[in-house]
Amino acid sequence: MDTMKFLFRSVFKSGLKPRFQRLRRMHSAWTSFTSGRPALRWSFIGVFWLPTAIVFTKYFAVVKQVSGPSMQPTLNPNSSPLRDVVICDRYHAKVEPHYERGDIVTVWSPSDPQKLFIKRIIATAGDTVKTLPPYPDLEVRIPEGHVWVEGDERFNSDDSNIFGPVPISLIDAKLLYIIFPIERIGPVPARITVREDPPRGRAWRHDMAAIERQQWRESRVTKRSE
Amino acid sequence: MASLNVPRMQRLLKQLSYGILIGVNCGCAFHLMRRYIGGPSLAYGPSMLPTLAMSGEILLENNFSIWWNPNNIARGDLVSYVSPIDPTRIACKRVIGLPGDVVCVDPTGEKAPSTEHVIVPKGHYWLAGDNAPASRDSRWYGPVSGQLIRGKIVARIWPPRSMTVFRNPISYID
Repeated sequence: MDTMKFLFRSVFKSGLKPRFQRLRRMHSAWTSFTSGRPALRWSFIGVFWLPTAIVFTKYFAVVKQVSGPSMQPTLNPNSSPLRDVVICDRYHAKVEPHYERGDIVTVWSPSDPQKLFIKRIIATAGDTVKTLPPYPDLEVRIPEGHVWVEGDERFNSDDSNIFGPVPISLIDAKLLYIIFPIERIGPVPARITVREDPPRGRAWRHDMAAIERQQWRESRVTKRSE
Repeated sequence: MASLNVPRMQRLLKQLSYGILIGVNCGCAFHLMRRYIGGPSLAYGPSMLPTLAMSGEILLENNFSIWWNPNNIARGDLVSYVSPIDPTRIACKRVIGLPGDVVCVDPTGEKAPSTEHVIVPKGHYWLAGDNAPASRDSRWYGPVSGQLIRGKIVARIWPPRSMTVFRNPISYID
């Protein structure tokens, strides 16, 4: 025990102290200099921790505003005058990529490096999907590492029917949660399920329309990979 | 052992957690520097033989020039890019075709008939490894979007006896 104590002391009392003393003196000088200048102090703290903040937004989650009508009525519906604000999950796109049919993702335009689209994944690698008119072939098999993305508003969307299957590395983030219009706040499920004994009202009609669109979407995938 | 000195332990714990946070911050700063400015990176795999060896080489990457100007890519450059079919993997290949070029899909005739040619679409690059039989490149997944290209390989800095600055080997015949 005494040996342990001696070792502990030799490391923590005599070993580290002289090395850190100059650093500590500089630190105390800096704190006394900035104690009367809170703006300087807080801006320094902000710049100092900036790398962590940037890495967090690049690899974990980020808040974004949706622009454009291509995901109507799921996002930016005509009923809301302001644009939706959403939380995007980058962890499941950059660090542990995993996609399912029905996920809403933000994807970089393959040809224009400045444009970011928000689309829904219709089919994943190995599926065979029925295409819509601008695409030259009637059916297409999605190659390895690619997905087929489309907007929910299919007449107003630049999607895979124009540029073909998208490599999954071009996917920037997955949509996780709508935070802005208060009435539509909540997670965005990949697949909607019917509520048991629903009250027949406006919300019910919305759900039924969403389910119909989902069934149509799913019927487009003629051969599934699993 | 003597009785525990609780305030001292609390102080130590606080200092330790603060130190860990600062370490994480430094790691993040280092990662961002590597991503946007450049730095040394390890390369392995047979796809770029004989330019790059199988393993044990450290290359110097210049990511800043491409971040600053994404069009700053020429035929013959060695580039590192995120593999289109696996976002967690970074690959290194040679640029064969720029947007608008007509390239032969596979001159060896292995993956496609050697007479098949394609036009590289807008914003895309045709990338291929120097060692065609062992390389998974544009012949496999098609032209790569410029969005995925991260940086240029400037030089080999390890092992010291084969230190080289990679120059663009392409010369044009008029």
